[in-house]
Amino acid sequence: MSLLLCACKSPKQPNLGEPLADLSRAERAQFEAGKKVFQRVFTPQDGLGPLFNANSCAQCHEDPVVGGVGDEIEIHATRFVAPNSCDPLFDQGGPVIQQNATPLLQAKGIMKEQIPPGATAQARRSTPPLFGFGLVDAIPEAAILSHERRHGAKGDGIAGHASRTIDGRVGRFGRKAAVAALLDFNAGAFPQEMGVTTPLSPVEETINGTPVPPDTDPAPDPEITVEDIEKVTAFTRFLAPPPGQILTNHTDQHLARRGRKLFVHLNCAVCHRPKMNTGPSTSKALHRKTVALYSDLMVHDMGSALADICLEQAHPSEFRTEMLMGLRFRGQFLHDGSAKTVQEAIERHDGEARNSRDRFKALKEKDKQALLKFLETI
Amino acid sequence: MKMITLLWTMAVAGSLAAATQASEVDQLKSDLVGQCMGGREKCWKFQSVDQIKALTIQKKTEDSRKRVYTIALQLQAAKAGGKYSANARVEYTKAATGWKIKQVGLLSIRKVE
Repeated sequence: MSLLLCACKSPKQPNLGEPLADLSRAERAQFEAGKKVFQRVFTPQDGLGPLFNANSCAQCHEDPVVGGVGDEIEIHATRFVAPNSCDPLFDQGGPVIQQNATPLLQAKGIMKEQIPPGATAQARRSTPPLFGFGLVDAIPEAAILSHERRHGAKGDGIAGHASRTIDGRVGRFGRKAAVAALLDFNAGAFPQEMGVTTPLSPVEETINGTPVPPDTDPAPDPEITVEDIEKVTAFTRFLAPPPGQILTNHTDQHLARRGRKLFVHLNCAVCHRPKMNTGPSTSKALHRKTVALYSDLMVHDMGSALADICLEQAHPSEFRTEMLMGLRFRGQFLHDGSAKTVQEAIERHDGEARNSRDRFKALKEKDKQALLKFLETI
Repeated sequence: MKMITLLWTMAVAGSLAAATQASEVDQLKSDLVGQCMGGREKCWKFQSVDQIKALTIQKKTEDSRKRVYTIALQLQAAKAGGKYSANARVEYTKAATGWKIKQVGLLSIRKVE
């Protein structure tokens, strides 16, 4: 009958921060071992820096539980040349511009990395929550590609295309969908966010293309093992999506039901697609499951006001549809955290979302509150 | 006569060396398929030999248990837009059946086109 009532009858969902149901004993152990690595605080002596954004995964992914969001904002920069050329500026320190330096590097007068001279734009990025990422990782590429739409095909102004990684795979993670797999996402977090080298990235991130002075990096490379990356990946793979909010107040239930219908009626659900299915998996917990991610994993034009950097096949004004699962646990909204409320975020949608935004703004106040109440249940 | 023999020997040795090098490059290309290097946006998963437009061995070290190559690569994926120039460290370990690729580390990468 309704999402909210159905939730009451379904088996107990894992609480926020808990692992997926149906994990084997071995997978549960991998989850716990990975959580420890995720919370490990690095120091310069065991690999932190010399350039870094944070000293542990959990420093940013911390609220309201480990694996959640943080209030940190990081800086990215790339080079875009119209109509289609995007350079991530790997050789100039891009796209992630590290904002902190260890004391040994600071002693050389380097406090952080600079925006590369070749950059045409810089971007601010908030920390995404990681709940349910393993299920998103398990969605087949073909299922994502099935959501591609051409402009004008359905007369609603909404298009959307899949983004590709530099090696040609379908992207799904990151605000520009430039990362294909959870393992890649985590393997890159160590060098790019913490300055921790790995066997897959065995040399330190440069300072805008210049190697770090050797006497600023006391830890031998690589600074962690592939097994550590796999442990962290197990933690994020098996971290359950947020449980749906069950409303007990009759008025709120009614409002949320109305809001859910409006979410579909205003075409929000075209891009913020409520559900997708995972494919076959060796893990029972990931095998052919439904994940309520509220995204089509496509990149869409969001208008010139929100435009910042390009990344791979996503132009400056294109962003991957934000996954809304766990929306109610966030304190800042949009890709850069610049919207303080959900309503502000909706009202700043543009581009392909302009029609939906305008229809939202034209709603009666009671209907706006109904839509927002529905979003509080996600 | 001695000069002709010497030149002939040098030519044969050169051909053999070139063939060995080509065979080693082909083996490396084949072994790289399925491997990942780097991470996040700066990640390359080798999905086919076709993605490796050029591979040059820059350095090779070996002991009884480990073989390490430093290689230069020209990479391009069919469904992606750019061409990339990369350097990588490829590590093999000695298994009962012979040398087996263990991991690939991305040393540097830049977009060239």
